[in-house]
Amino acid sequence: MAILVALPAADFAFAAGDEPGEYLDRRAVIWNLFYKMMTVAFIVGSVVSGTIIWQVWRFRESHPKAKPTSYEGTDW
Amino acid sequence: MTLELQKPRPIWQIMFSTHHTDVGLLYLISSLTFLFLGGSLALGIRAELFLPGSQIITDAMTFNRIFTVHGTTLIFLFIIPFASAVGNYYVPIMVRYKDMAYPKLNAIAFWMIPPAGVLIWLGFADFTWYATPPYSIISAPGPAADMWIFGLKILGVSSVLGALNFIVTILKCKHPDMSIGQVPLLAWSFLSSSLIILVAIPTFAAALLMLLTDRLGASGFFNPAMGGDPISYAHLFWFTFHPEVYVLVIPAIGMMYEIIPRFSRKPIYSYNSGIFAFVLLSIVGFSSWAHHMYATGMSFTEKTVFMVGTLAAVPASAMHVFNFVATMWNARIKFSTPMMWSVGGIALFFSAGAGGVVNSAMPLDFTTHDTYWVVGHFHLFVMGTIAFGSIGFLYYMFPYVTGRMYNEALGKIHFTLSFIGTVLVFFTQHILGLYGMPRRIYDYPPIPEWIAMNQITTIGAMIIGISMAIFLANMIHSAGKGKIADTDDPFGLGGKYYYPFEAKNPSH
Repeated sequence: MAILVALPAADFAFAAGDEPGEYLDRRAVIWNLFYKMMTVAFIVGSVVSGTIIWQVWRFRESHPKAKPTSYEGTDW
Repeated sequence: MTLELQKPRPIWQIMFSTHHTDVGLLYLISSLTFLFLGGSLALGIRAELFLPGSQIITDAMTFNRIFTVHGTTLIFLFIIPFASAVGNYYVPIMVRYKDMAYPKLNAIAFWMIPPAGVLIWLGFADFTWYATPPYSIISAPGPAADMWIFGLKILGVSSVLGALNFIVTILKCKHPDMSIGQVPLLAWSFLSSSLIILVAIPTFAAALLMLLTDRLGASGFFNPAMGGDPISYAHLFWFTFHPEVYVLVIPAIGMMYEIIPRFSRKPIYSYNSGIFAFVLLSIVGFSSWAHHMYATGMSFTEKTVFMVGTLAAVPASAMHVFNFVATMWNARIKFSTPMMWSVGGIALFFSAGAGGVVNSAMPLDFTTHDTYWVVGHFHLFVMGTIAFGSIGFLYYMFPYVTGRMYNEALGKIHFTLSFIGTVLVFFTQHILGLYGMPRRIYDYPPIPEWIAMNQITTIGAMIIGISMAIFLANMIHSAGKGKIADTDDPFGLGGKYYYPFEAKNPSH
């Protein structure tokens, strides 16, 4: 969350100047921010998606190492 | 559990019944009808955009009419009524009550939907599901626009009546032995979304009245020529419809909370965090409406407040995803069709959320505003998460409703094609947006990248269309001729499907 919120917020502050010629700088800052956020999103996304894909493979009932959960056969 | 279609009855007995499962069945049939109608319009839109120039739709206004009715139909006449169908079936059973708190009001809430649908479809308005002012006031042709406004007004009343019924049923009619902290998460999702409806909808109801009186020339709230401000309509609209996104998504997540533990053969990892995340989403849903309006000249401070308010939804959404992942950990998961739709829905929910984080950052919003990025982001939520959760739950409900099993192989083919199609359509639309293609356009210049990505999108849409045809055939055929289901354990998971604390309701 610090990466997602604090860094962009600091960048907005720098991007908010009113000096002549800053329009181009702002575009650069915006795209820089975009790539940073996409980098964070892709890393987090890869970890979560990878975990889900691995779970789907490992914990499927047809996996050789699958074993009954402790709740099976009970009225949980 | 009640199985409404096991004993064939005359249709009028179901139509004039006020029993919650009958009303649920009516909601179900109506919402699925509108799913196919609205989906057909989407295929028309995509066929038109396959190449630059006019393809199958003759003019821009017809195109605008088609995507207006497409959006209105799928949001208001498919997603919300489908959630009501699930709520009607399950909430009374889960809180161990004989019916909804107000059965007649429940039936009235349903019977407001068909006339509203007729008004929207016969009118075929052209001003987008946002009813863009000042166009909607000054130029949108009547009576189409007026019919749309009346249709939405009726649907708003229906939603409020339904929400009141769910809230009273859950809070006041639950079994005395059951505390609110023991109500299943699916019922909690209906409680949360119903509370949002009660707070959010009246604002849009007022905006619709103001829009109508503006159109009649009696007022000028949103008409610049009469001193009005279209931006004020945007505030009123998004104050309702950003929280409305959570009204749509929370029940779908609730449905996943029902399916994932069942098919993982273990309880949800953290019941309390699920409740907390629902409540948190319900609150922060109201702190983010103006992120749709960064480009309207808001101050830096306002934009910062709404950006942080929007990001506040991230922890709540992440709690749901973590809860699902932790539940599936060390489980013995049966990947029947409902589970496949739920797991696919989680993956796409996460992708849609990641795109949303980018949207919520105000400088980035200027890059993506009104481009196809937004179309991709929004649809990844409504199709990838909400429709996936809903369709998965429909497969889950099917044996209980009909007493028969659907064809499992066709269900899995339906999922696989839909997942591929959804990724092709909506991921590509994100990239198309970054290439600068504006949303809501009838034609586009022959830029090679735009053409290629529009073609990929259209092919993806056709794949979804084929999958939906398989789905329809499977549902119709299996409802009449499917294998008789073992209603104690239709999915072969072992054990009986009791709700927590021995929810054996004598009325069902």
